[in-house]
Amino acid sequence: MSVPSPLGTTLRVIGLSHHKAPVALRERLAFRAEDISKALSGILAHGFHEAVILSTCNRVEVYSVAGEGGDAAARLRGYLSEYHGVPEHEFAPALYDHKGADAIRHLFEVASSLDSQILGETEILAQAKDAYRVSVESGACGPTLRSVFERAFFISKEVRADGGIGRSQASVSSAAVGLAKKLFELENRKVLVVGTGEMATGIVRALKSAGVAEIWVASRTEERAQEFAKREGGNPCHMRHLEEYLTKVDIVLVSSAAPHFIIGPKEILAVAQKRRNRTLCLIDISVPRNVDPAVHKLDDTFLYDIDDLEGVARDGKMERETVAAHWLPKLAEAAREQMRVLHGSEPRETAKKLLEHAEAARVEIAREHSRGMDAKSAEALCRALERLQGKLLHGPLDTLKQSAREGGGADASAWVSRLFRLQMETNAESAVAEGETQPPVARSAPPDDPPKRTLDDRAPKTAPENPPPRGEASGGDVAFAGN
Amino acid sequence: MTQDILAYGALASFILGAVAAIAGFRYEAFKRPGWQFVLAGLGALLKTAAIGEACKSGTTHFFNSVSDIYGLMAWALALSYLLALFVSRARSLGALALPAVAALMALSIVSDKTQTQMATPPALFATHIICAFLGYGLFLTACSASVLYLEQNRLLKRKTFGVLFQDLPSLERLEWLEILCSRLGLLIFTVALATGIEMAAKSSGVNWFDWKILSTVVTWLVFFLLVTGRALRWINGRTAAKCVLAGAALVLITFMLGHPAEKKTTAGRIPGYRFRDRRAA
Repeated sequence: MSVPSPLGTTLRVIGLSHHKAPVALRERLAFRAEDISKALSGILAHGFHEAVILSTCNRVEVYSVAGEGGDAAARLRGYLSEYHGVPEHEFAPALYDHKGADAIRHLFEVASSLDSQILGETEILAQAKDAYRVSVESGACGPTLRSVFERAFFISKEVRADGGIGRSQASVSSAAVGLAKKLFELENRKVLVVGTGEMATGIVRALKSAGVAEIWVASRTEERAQEFAKREGGNPCHMRHLEEYLTKVDIVLVSSAAPHFIIGPKEILAVAQKRRNRTLCLIDISVPRNVDPAVHKLDDTFLYDIDDLEGVARDGKMERETVAAHWLPKLAEAAREQMRVLHGSEPRETAKKLLEHAEAARVEIAREHSRGMDAKSAEALCRALERLQGKLLHGPLDTLKQSAREGGGADASAWVSRLFRLQMETNAESAVAEGETQPPVARSAPPDDPPKRTLDDRAPKTAPENPPPRGEASGGDVAFAGN
Repeated sequence: MTQDILAYGALASFILGAVAAIAGFRYEAFKRPGWQFVLAGLGALLKTAAIGEACKSGTTHFFNSVSDIYGLMAWALALSYLLALFVSRARSLGALALPAVAALMALSIVSDKTQTQMATPPALFATHIICAFLGYGLFLTACSASVLYLEQNRLLKRKTFGVLFQDLPSLERLEWLEILCSRLGLLIFTVALATGIEMAAKSSGVNWFDWKILSTVVTWLVFFLLVTGRALRWINGRTAAKCVLAGAALVLITFMLGHPAEKKTTAGRIPGYRFRDRRAA
């Protein structure tokens, strides 16, 4: 009977993105930045060992490493439903669930912006790094996710350095300008920017180069508005005077982090008379949305959100296909490689621990029984114990080596750890703090099912005639061909 | 004979122009408005030459046969379209206007060419006819712009960003085109109305209850209110575009009452002016 590979079943990502979930759904499942630590604790309390929550305007994803037993995906879905108060059946069809290498590949694509609306955007990398940092600080990030995320950050740099990807970075900005141009000529128009951010910056720059005359910037914090206005050549204004500016402007670009609607039909109707029915274009790129979708139903008022912009950015899509065709196979291979690293490192660590465990036991026994012995007898006892240790461990170590070569290292590690009651490295925080460069060991709990095969199935039935040399079996690092 | 050749040439140009306008939605090569400008311009030029040829016949041609009426309408619409294309570069307008021009031109070629002879054509007759048809043409061009405006508005509201959406001009440009054509059309139509009333008054008096006069006056009123309402910002956007559509429907009614439909029954004519049927003579 084959035991399922622990990493293959426990590392997974569940989430929804702009591909299948409309912004109306995404905003209901979005995590507020200040609540993510709490949410991570909640996930760990549901039987997960590690978790990272990536919640951006385009996606809500939970990367997790679960313990064995139970349906981890169902638990995560249930948690999302419970946390956000959204019935599971409402978001389940839009959810994706990737496991093992697929989950790693997905993260690589996300971090490299190949899965983003704006191909080549850098914001997603910063958001992924933030999500990872919050998870580490909350103690929810273990060695597996740490290794995978760090690799993803490295790969994303490689992808961006390729050059081809950056060209379409402005696709959403140009889509916003393109949409506005379908309403009116942009020369001498006035723009109000509510909230600041990288994407807002891009759109404002595109609007400016299209000829808009004046830009006002409103933000919750006056300093940010001033800084943005100074940088982009606009005028800062206060959120309190929103109505006054709504009367003046032709385009309103909303990119704030407010969890509620800032502009609704009431605000628009209040200024309609003063505007004398001039067309008003609202572009809301925030998630959750900050402009009530009901304003789009009003006459002479047009509202477009982040999903609509993608609909317009057709050129970006074509470019995405070209870049994706080039990079996706490479990322898939990198994900498989990462999976092999995770699997391969596990038996090595297990072997090391097994040897340390046996060494400690041998030294203890030798110390106890060599009391009162002369030096020669003590030396003979030590040698005998070393030989015994070598003979006993040869089987398990050989199995670990072989399974690492064949790709079943994690499985073998789990069994060996359980049989010898080895304590695996579990402190993710310490691992992160130490800044290790080697991929860490995946925390693999042994299967709950009682093993139906015996140790004899794996270990040689008889001790080898020629025991391994001392250096190989009785201590020190073990070099694995599979690594 | 020369008139016929010129008319066929004009028809061919208008058809090619219409094909180019429609192909522009699909093929990049036809997206430039130059194709339509050249083809529609050539068609209008040939039609103008055909009218010039007819004018050479002096008093024997009165521009009141069914064929003439359709032909003049096609010519006026083509000129209005060329003006609109020149000022707005709204290429997609051709997809509506040029097929209509080609259809009118084809109708002109196949329909009855019998003239209703006038005893003495009044001095204002030429001004009246030209202004009336140019007014119709401009109103119909405003109507085309309104149709495109409403369609673009619908696409923007429904967030349907397809090929048509990409190809249509901005709402502002379409609205401006509609305003321009309505204002210009109203001005020219006012001249046509005034000259018509003047001619009728000089002959046998104006019959204000004549259907044609009524519909002409109502059409004028609708466009007058529309232009005034727009200037005073009472109406705009979709409401104004719908008003233009209503006005264009009235233009068609006026056109049909005044010309081809009425021709067979009451001898299509200038209101109140007595005609002598050439065939009867």
